Amino acid sequence: MLIKLDTKRLACPMPIIKLKKCLAQNSKQEVQILMELTDAGGLKDIPAFCQQQGLLYELVQQSPIIEFKIWRQALPKS
Amino acid sequence: MNNIIENRDVSSQFSLIQTKGTLDWAYPAFILASTAAVMDKEVEMFFTFYGLKTILKNTQNLKVTPLGNPGMPIKSPIGPGWLKKIDWNQCLPGLVWTMPGASMLATWGFKKQMLMQGQVPIDELRGLCLELGVKMTACQMTVDLMGYEQDQFISGIGFAGAASYFAQTPENQSLLI
Repeated sequence: MLIKLDTKRLACPMPIIKLKKCLAQNSKQEVQILMELTDAGGLKDIPAFCQQQGLLYELVQQSPIIEFKIWRQALPKS
Repeated sequence: MNNIIENRDVSSQFSLIQTKGTLDWAYPAFILASTAAVMDKEVEMFFTFYGLKTILKNTQNLKVTPLGNPGMPIKSPIGPGWLKKIDWNQCLPGLVWTMPGASMLATWGFKKQMLMQGQVPIDELRGLCLELGVKMTACQMTVDLMGYEQDQFISGIGFAGAASYFAQTPENQSLLI
């Protein structure tokens, strides 16, 4: 499932708060989040947040709007 | 919201002592606290002296003033581009900021600028901190010293002394604002 998360025009720390809420609301599901933001600091903050939280991410585009695709690491199959 | 904070790593703590009671000093504290909480840190905030003002229910008294605050850029949030670029705190003599209404004007401009930058109002940001599990403690001694009543403060905070704060915070890391 792909969820679009619009955080355009929001400044730090609102984009990662929204991202955290979005992840919490979809905790049981395998989701991919397409996050849109305009806060330039997010270019470094989103990867830092993902690394710290054990999430995977991909920078989809940098302009005119920053877009990240974010997803959880698949749990190892036992 | 509970499931947001269930994975919190209690060994990772962040603590902050808020001593300033102006709007421009309230924002950094709540921005840092909410960011740390979102990153699963156990966050403790201790409010003492003028910092108590930032956790009162009424946020209308949180103001900014350029008086004695030379680091603060004062720019018009409205008007043409060239006008918005002028830093009035550098151009005008400090005496100007003693005029009646100067602080009100600066506060209005600051709030407008923050909202235009995509920041949320201070009471909303403060509420988010509580929602994210940030623990806030008002210093009981200064609550009494400043003549506040407990019902003037937002709900969800605790009242205690500095000893209680230090008993719950990391050994080697606190931020004083």
